[in-house]
Amino acid sequence: MGKATYKVKEGKLIKVNLTLNEGRIEEIKIMGDFFLHPEETIEDIERTLRGCILNEERICNLIRNALSREGAVLLGASPEDFARCIVMAGEKDG
Amino acid sequence: MAEEWRLLDTGLNDAFYNMALDEAIATARSRRLVPNTIRLYRWMPSAVSIGYFQSMEEEVDIEACDEMGIDYVRRRTGGGAVYHDTNGELTYSIVVDEDHRLVSEDFLETYRKLCSGIVLGLRMLGIPAEFKPINDIVVHGKKISGNAQTRRMHVILQHGTILRRVDPELMFRVLKVPSEKIRDKMIRTVKERVTSIRDVLGRDVSFEELKEAIIRGFEESFKIKLIRGDITEFEEELAQRLKDEIYSRKEWNFKR
Repeated sequence: MGKATYKVKEGKLIKVNLTLNEGRIEEIKIMGDFFLHPEETIEDIERTLRGCILNEERICNLIRNALSREGAVLLGASPEDFARCIVMAGEKDG
Repeated sequence: MAEEWRLLDTGLNDAFYNMALDEAIATARSRRLVPNTIRLYRWMPSAVSIGYFQSMEEEVDIEACDEMGIDYVRRRTGGGAVYHDTNGELTYSIVVDEDHRLVSEDFLETYRKLCSGIVLGLRMLGIPAEFKPINDIVVHGKKISGNAQTRRMHVILQHGTILRRVDPELMFRVLKVPSEKIRDKMIRTVKERVTSIRDVLGRDVSFEELKEAIIRGFEESFKIKLIRGDITEFEEELAQRLKDEIYSRKEWNFKR
């Protein structure tokens, strides 16, 4: 499993645990002390990222889409920050 | 005539009931069973609460908590891990309609408005408190209060803590540190970044005095009149059920 921690400048702390399978995200948990409304959107984001390759831009787009689908608001972190931390965790897996 | 809200002082309860009751009040408000409400409460036994998105295993030293008889619970709200000492802090919650004049679509603006009651209450005690975005209240740049908010069923629930006194050593016995090597550094960092009423005023303020100030702070800042009331039967039954079925359960507390 790959783990990464990323402190957002002037913002919150993001932690990601993930496992890759043949270069694609198999399991992922995005954790931290940020705010996301509605909160359950985090599970949608994680679901939508399963099967995705470890490409920062693609991950970021999937997160943005999930947020706008739910009309969700992220505070203390951005989709770019999430994507950065996910790629960091992915590079540590294996 | 000033707008009337209900004031609840629910005293000492365990972590699971405390979180369940906040949710029960919000549900009751969404069904128009109760007025907008401010609740003051404490934690017995002392407890750690973690934010909705945090991992219990990664944030909390479970073994140390079990040894010391400290509860741990996941909140419905985001934000960070908080150690709620029975005698070290007062917690409040606000339950208010989404379309109330104090609430805007903008979360930061709503935090600022809802925190203004605490800020004013602390100032009444002679503490030069200020709101610091996103969700903190600070004195001379040091955090004295952390706050977290959620929106469900067209109702806002915001809860937060006010530190009477702080014990960083104890805080890091219950919260995990990345490695033992940096425990002392983290304790020093907390001492630099966190403060308490005792640290600022150089004296202990009793819970009664603190509550009176916070109540007046909310009344003046929100332009409301707080009327002491009780929790309804609906809220009590729902709180017990939420405690039994969600907040006291591993499935909830360890779900991330």
